Amino acid sequence: MNNTDLVKNGLKKRYLKERMFKLMGLFSIATAILFLFILLTDIISKALPAFYQTQIVLEVNIDAERLNLNTNSDEADMMNADFRLVIRDALLATFPEVTKRADKRALYSLTSMGAEFQLRDLVMSDPNLLGSTQTISFIADDDVDAVVKGSIDRHLPEKDRRINNQKLFWIDKLASQDQIQTTFNWNFFSNGDSREPEMAGIRGAILGSFYTLLVTLALSFPIAVAAAIYLEEFAPKNKFIDFIEININNLAAVPSIVFGLLGLAVFINFFSLPRSAPVVGGVVLSLMTLPTIIIASRSAIKAVPPSLREAALGLGASKMQAVFHHVLPASMPGILTGTIIGMAQALGETAPLLMIGMVAFIVDIPQSVTDPSTVLPIQVFLWADSPERGFLEKTSAAIMVLLFFLIAMNAIAIYLRKKFEKKW
Amino acid sequence: MNEAVVKNGPKESTMKVISKPENEDSLSIEYTATVGQPLCEEAKFRTQNVNVFYADNQAIHDVTLDVGAHEVIALIGPSGCGKSTFLRCLNRMNDTIDICRVEGKILLDEEDIYSKKQDPVLLRARVGMVFQKPNPFPKSIYDNVAYGPRIHGLTSNKAELDDLVEQSLIKAGLFQEVKDRLHAPGTGLSGGQQQRLCIARTIAVKPEVILMDEPASALDPIATAKIEELINELKQNFTIVIVTHSMQQAARVSQRTAYFHMGRLIEVGNTDQIFTNPSHDLTEKYITGRFG
Repeated sequence: MNNTDLVKNGLKKRYLKERMFKLMGLFSIATAILFLFILLTDIISKALPAFYQTQIVLEVNIDAERLNLNTNSDEADMMNADFRLVIRDALLATFPEVTKRADKRALYSLTSMGAEFQLRDLVMSDPNLLGSTQTISFIADDDVDAVVKGSIDRHLPEKDRRINNQKLFWIDKLASQDQIQTTFNWNFFSNGDSREPEMAGIRGAILGSFYTLLVTLALSFPIAVAAAIYLEEFAPKNKFIDFIEININNLAAVPSIVFGLLGLAVFINFFSLPRSAPVVGGVVLSLMTLPTIIIASRSAIKAVPPSLREAALGLGASKMQAVFHHVLPASMPGILTGTIIGMAQALGETAPLLMIGMVAFIVDIPQSVTDPSTVLPIQVFLWADSPERGFLEKTSAAIMVLLFFLIAMNAIAIYLRKKFEKKW
Repeated sequence: MNEAVVKNGPKESTMKVISKPENEDSLSIEYTATVGQPLCEEAKFRTQNVNVFYADNQAIHDVTLDVGAHEVIALIGPSGCGKSTFLRCLNRMNDTIDICRVEGKILLDEEDIYSKKQDPVLLRARVGMVFQKPNPFPKSIYDNVAYGPRIHGLTSNKAELDDLVEQSLIKAGLFQEVKDRLHAPGTGLSGGQQQRLCIARTIAVKPEVILMDEPASALDPIATAKIEELINELKQNFTIVIVTHSMQQAARVSQRTAYFHMGRLIEVGNTDQIFTNPSHDLTEKYITGRFG
């Protein structure tokens, strides 16, 4: 046998191996895509109802006398007025046959607890409405919402159902009179958290996440880039610096909850910073993000061709000038990518924030970095933990919002990398 | 073992050369002293017994060489002979390498550039450098040339800077080619143009000496010819030390040539004499292409 035959004999086996490898790669990618698809379909299908809200249209006589108000009433009076009364009157007017106290109470629960505040805000913004009769869409209770969206099975026996036959009858009657409508759920984006699923919104968590990340970015980006520049460009090569380098790598691998404990012990107990506040959350998350950004920045700086440094030094630039005029701009794409990946990590981080009290139930929307607040992943955690049915869809919707922000941040990272990338 | 005898050399610089006959690439030297005329009367640079170490490896052994004012001196020798290392000592570019240690004296205008008083930034403003691979900044052509004057504050207003940039580009023979696109990126030029841009950038700082580390080795023959032509023009205003792999190039552009071998300066002399009538056996072998 000559060489050609030897090679020929082996060829089949070699190509077979290659085909097998390609097939395996294809299979693993397909599996990954399949699971991603399942995950996204599940989340989106569960979340979609949360973006719609059931409302009950009622003709309300905003009777000033019944509300104990007159044209001279100031804001405080309005705040104290019991707007529930007129909504109840309107409900009773729709179903005059309800007379028993227990039935009445059941009837009143068709609208959300938030309906009276809805009406109050409306009247406060336009006091001329006092004394007039208006057709207003009120937010429905979460049970009504569930029935309308079809997530409660009507065929279940009454005792197993969350909503009884009487209520079902009222809902059906309202629906037949066109008094039930579904609209886009703006409240989900404008409200803070609430015990009532139909009133709960994600704005507080979004702003909490925003303030927390703001603090994280403001702290970790300059410190990490400065540290990376020092370590790469200025630090002497000795045991001490090696030790620091090893420990930065170790820090990146420390479980995040440990940083939470550190934050609790140092920032809250020792420095007495406010609990549940984005400022503490941001500091804790920066501790966690620092090693990520330092490592990414160092490799970006290391990747800058030495010829660029030499060109600057050869012209008589000081080391500092060479770094800041040339090396840093050239390594910016890598540094920014690392930073945004670090920030995306911080956005999704839950464990350390649990330790510093950002897991609290907070209704108010935070106005600054020192206001108590929660963050998106913790909002997901809190809602997933709630027993009310309405929170199920809210959980998925919050996950969608969180994923949206993560995808947006990664897209920005890719865009920046493309924009700043330069060819040598 | 084969004993190489120095031809035409002074008696005291006789040396023994040991080489393995089966592999002439690994010629090793037992003892050496420089042949020829390493010293100049009007010297810009004087180096005296320079030794350079990378950690424990000695890269340069006892090199004593003067660079005359307004001369072009070519450093030639096989790869790894230390000619680039020696060149980088002259503007303290080796400072950037942590493990590199320089011993001996290097004087620029009779002042020790390795003394504590000497500021490396000031030194590099006086001794410019052009590198092997064209390395323009990823900025516009204008900004590339203007960078040096800007950091040193050489000009006081925009018009002066514009003028300096234009003059530098003209001197580098690049102005005609790029005058319409001064604000286009310097990295978009061809290799030869990039190298001339790097030369323009260097001369914009108005250095006294220009060090060139194989400036044409990454270029095609036409671009190389342009660079060589440029060097011939620049020598009227600058002292030039050029490291080159190409003996023809050394012959064309330089007045004096120094031959390095394994970290030692073997022979220095007028370029004509080195290429037509080398004194040292190793030099002869190298220029006749028997190794290197």
